[in-house]
Amino acid sequence: MAIHSIYILSKDDPEARSLLSFFRRRGHDKLTNVMIERVVWLEGSFNMERLMPLFINPLYQVPAETSQLDPEHGPIVEIAYRPAVTDPETPSILDGAHALGEDGLLFARLSRRYQFCGLDEHEAKTLAAHFLYNKVVERIREPNEAVTTLRPTGNPDPVGKVSFEGLSDDELAALSRERSWYAPLSQMKVIQAHQKQRGRPYTDAEVEILVQSWSDHCYHTTWKSLGLLKRLMAATREINHPLVVSSFTDNAGGMDFVDGWVVTIKGETHNFPSSIAPFGGIATKHGGVIRDTLGFGKGAYPIGGTTVMGTMDPRMAESEVPAGALHPELIVSESIRATAYYMNPMGIPMMHPIYRCHPGYAKCFALGHSVGLLPKKYVRKDAPRPGDVAVLFGGSTGRDGVHGATASSAAMTGETLEKESAAVQIGHPITERRFTTAIPILRDSECIRTITDLGAGGISCAVGEMGADTGVEINLDAVPLKDKSLTAWEILLSESQERMLMAVPPEKLEEAQAILRRFEVASCVLGKFTNTGRLQAKWQGEMVVDLNMFFLWKSCPIDPTPTAPPQRHLAPLTILPPQSREEWGIVVCRLLSHYHCADQSPAGTRYDSTVQGRTAVGPYGGKNHRMPTNIYVSAPLRNKPNGVITTLAFNPFYGEIDPAVMARLMIWEAITKAVVAGTDYRQMVLCDNFYTPRVRPDTASELVAMVDTIADLSVEIGVPFISGKDSSSGTLEAGGKRIDVPPTLAVATMGRVSDVKKVVTKDFKRAGNRLLLLGRYDANILGGTVYADSLGQRGDSLFDAYDPISMKVQWDYLLELHAQHRYVSASAIAEGGMMLRLFEGAFGSGLGARVDVEGIPASRLDGLLFGEFIGACLLEVPPDFKIPAHLAGIRHQFIGHVTAEPHLTIARGGEVIWEESIATLADTWSETFREVVK
Amino acid sequence: MTQATTAILYAPGTNCHEETAAAIELAHGKAELVLLKDLIGGQTRLDDYQAAVVPGGFSYGDHLGAGRIFATMLVARLRDQLVRFLDAKKPLLGICNGYQVLTEAGILPGRTPGQRGMALLENQSARFEDRKVRMIVSKVKCVWTEGLAGQVLEMPSAHGEGRPLFCDSDAASAPRAVFHYGDEHGQPTMDYPSNPNGSPGAVAGVTDESGLVLGLMPHPERASLPGQYSQDGLRIFQNLVNWLNR
Repeated sequence: MAIHSIYILSKDDPEARSLLSFFRRRGHDKLTNVMIERVVWLEGSFNMERLMPLFINPLYQVPAETSQLDPEHGPIVEIAYRPAVTDPETPSILDGAHALGEDGLLFARLSRRYQFCGLDEHEAKTLAAHFLYNKVVERIREPNEAVTTLRPTGNPDPVGKVSFEGLSDDELAALSRERSWYAPLSQMKVIQAHQKQRGRPYTDAEVEILVQSWSDHCYHTTWKSLGLLKRLMAATREINHPLVVSSFTDNAGGMDFVDGWVVTIKGETHNFPSSIAPFGGIATKHGGVIRDTLGFGKGAYPIGGTTVMGTMDPRMAESEVPAGALHPELIVSESIRATAYYMNPMGIPMMHPIYRCHPGYAKCFALGHSVGLLPKKYVRKDAPRPGDVAVLFGGSTGRDGVHGATASSAAMTGETLEKESAAVQIGHPITERRFTTAIPILRDSECIRTITDLGAGGISCAVGEMGADTGVEINLDAVPLKDKSLTAWEILLSESQERMLMAVPPEKLEEAQAILRRFEVASCVLGKFTNTGRLQAKWQGEMVVDLNMFFLWKSCPIDPTPTAPPQRHLAPLTILPPQSREEWGIVVCRLLSHYHCADQSPAGTRYDSTVQGRTAVGPYGGKNHRMPTNIYVSAPLRNKPNGVITTLAFNPFYGEIDPAVMARLMIWEAITKAVVAGTDYRQMVLCDNFYTPRVRPDTASELVAMVDTIADLSVEIGVPFISGKDSSSGTLEAGGKRIDVPPTLAVATMGRVSDVKKVVTKDFKRAGNRLLLLGRYDANILGGTVYADSLGQRGDSLFDAYDPISMKVQWDYLLELHAQHRYVSASAIAEGGMMLRLFEGAFGSGLGARVDVEGIPASRLDGLLFGEFIGACLLEVPPDFKIPAHLAGIRHQFIGHVTAEPHLTIARGGEVIWEESIATLADTWSETFREVVK
Repeated sequence: MTQATTAILYAPGTNCHEETAAAIELAHGKAELVLLKDLIGGQTRLDDYQAAVVPGGFSYGDHLGAGRIFATMLVARLRDQLVRFLDAKKPLLGICNGYQVLTEAGILPGRTPGQRGMALLENQSARFEDRKVRMIVSKVKCVWTEGLAGQVLEMPSAHGEGRPLFCDSDAASAPRAVFHYGDEHGQPTMDYPSNPNGSPGAVAGVTDESGLVLGLMPHPERASLPGQYSQDGLRIFQNLVNWLNR
């Protein structure tokens, strides 16, 4: 069939300009211009004239039959999907052509031609390979390549047999390594013993299923061995909170909301893929955690999301980047592009965009949350019954993400970057968006017995888990493939994104399929649930998997995890307080321009924060909508004042000093952020996400200490964890060096507020109001602070002043003040201390603040202003505010007042110690991130 | 008499249809979600509605260009209904991606399905821009902004391709600027990010000769409901309801 092509140039191309500046910023000074030409490839017989409006808008696009780029101007690199892979745009093009009456168009593909003026061909290809395509699914198309068909071609490998018989321990270990199974010897031996018992060798598909189902990523072997999940679940059970409707057992946790609705929360990390291929890794981080919401109960609807990134310092020199790791600037900028690429088309508002750095994040921390909404009556899944139909829907299955589960469970090494990049999935939000619309309708039509998403382990894991108590028989030939060369085990294990699995009662099948068709969601009948207790899969007439469910799910050996106290090498701080006005100016600038305190809106404003029309308080607020609010408030039910508030605490510095104290502080910080805004901590739930180094006795001991701390604490304050996730793979080993991530715990809160209009934000409200530091402080403890980090120090102790009782007393007091409208702006003290809050409150209001330290008992002024007194908060109160007599026991320290002049002033009595205009400070504060991302 | 109903047209990738319907209902109008596929399949007809909105989102994943495929469907499969709709002088609103659809389809500015007279290009910053903007309402006749001339409306804006490109056209089919991005003093501005996409002349929304068809990049439906930071957008929907009730 004839192949036609159209070469399209845009008369105005901001993307090309942006690429040029991106590359030049990365030191490619020889590059003088970038041109992008888009090519449409079409196969079939059709009227080209009639198709043109689909491909060309003549107002700004110029088509031609041959390339319009002049090769004289520089090398051209053309990037296209691999022949075996279908372009994501192909169905849209065929739909459009069909609408135009051109049914003779059989297939279509796109490619992009980049011209790099000023570079040689080798340099151009290197740049393209690094930044412009993913070699798992894309490739460089050579000039004058003969094309006979555009349709995907390729042949699958036959099913292989693997025998474990007679293999020694060494041979078993070697086999595990060679096949990229990353299975420990104990598992290999159990699989070997089972072969003897069942009397026949395994197919490759069977072993692949076993090792990935038992990987740390899927089976959480580390956590099981240390008894950690049980510990958290027991704590939540003990609290027995009336609002908790689902905890830890489903794809997310659920909290009762109002009027028969439930809100859900889940946090998911995607550290390994994001470290080796940030764009794909981050896009699918969002796609995956959103599917956890869709796969909660009988299907929840996503109403908010976050992105939290921990990397090395993006400003580090290229030469300092450890072997085996990507430059953090690339990880951050690619992650921003990916979050925008995925979240915006999904139509899910961004709640918290947070970026932090630490030299330990050679293997980055990539966390995303998803908050969902569903009617309470659909909170529980039903068990599938024999005869129920397994329906797979969403995207087609491809080569992307094969071995993702096992690879992410392993430590990252220099070779991983090359070897396992196939483990990275590719995300296509439009596919997920289609079923996001369809799922609530399927659910409300009672078509769903149970539903789950396909994530790690792909079809095998989803089907295997759903049918664990019954048995299930599937037909792999029914699976729509985007890559025709996939063999059975690859179809089973592929982690292609945007796929869901549901069990449908047989009498509902037709209705379910009609709903899916109406919303243009592709689906197939994958198989049916049985009563055999076996996982069975057929492919091309052959039974390629026949595994006993009991063996699959109950026989994984859990190796004991020894623990031993960690050695710490901490040094006390040696920071001298600033002595002069100039020195004050320098330290304040350092603080405000620190990566953790600086204006991150150049990233955050790339994400839609108001879509769905539910946003009451977004991530940025204040007069100019650039002040970080540190809270997100949604009004999920239209025309109802009730709100859901979320907050986050994540600090990579504290864990280095003391992981257990850090864990406590994260809880204090996250909850105080919400309480100070007016949320009752008794109407709140928590979500934990751990990221720790690869398990060794010392790191295991730290992990246990952190989990013990938060489990005990949650019981003592009565605020339960309802969902969480852990990853113990935060170690990069390369070039004889080992880099561990700092012990990391991100705590998210989700709480109910009765009226979103009563939420108090941090921007100052009125000149003349007094500023009150409420709570405990200690100006001598500066360990782990941004202030210390900005001076290149960490310290040896953390501010840790609250026990559960004193913390609760203070929260109760805050709630009382809030109920009486006694304060008008408020923020919890966290990174950057009081100084950052003073600046942000002023910046967000157009007002200023004057701090007068005369009479304040503080040994050092820098400690008072920069100390991170987690648990304390800064309140703006009317001038006539009186401390209630019965609460004089809570520490109140008036520190100054709000001024009409937009200045920040630190004074002692009449003497000005330091002063600066908010505008000048804002310039400093705005610079850091702009440099990083643009 | 039954209440006039506004069709909210949505397709795969549209993601602002529910809040748009909610805003119209809050303005005491009646809105119905209408799937483009059902219109093409004949299950529903545009003739049954007295007004229509194409809401925001990423219809068909923005494949081949923002709004391109949705517009192709409208022009190729629903041209007759569309022409009848326009001839019957029914109001039509395109928000964000819906505005892109209306320009790609040639409905804005010239009311000529299949003949494009303007385009919405990638933002000057080459990035998606999530901002809160001020919209200065011009004196141009438009049923959606009646009585609002001179006022400044605050609403969110969130898009990657919103920079209009106008081409020479006769007076009848020329775009008429209804909204301009304003600075803090209420003056039209070219300053980023108050003008988030680099729109020449700070044009944020246009209408056609009849004043019935309006396209704008920012989102009035996200500044309508009580929980939202501004309710300025509701006035646009109230104008629709007033017009329909006339």
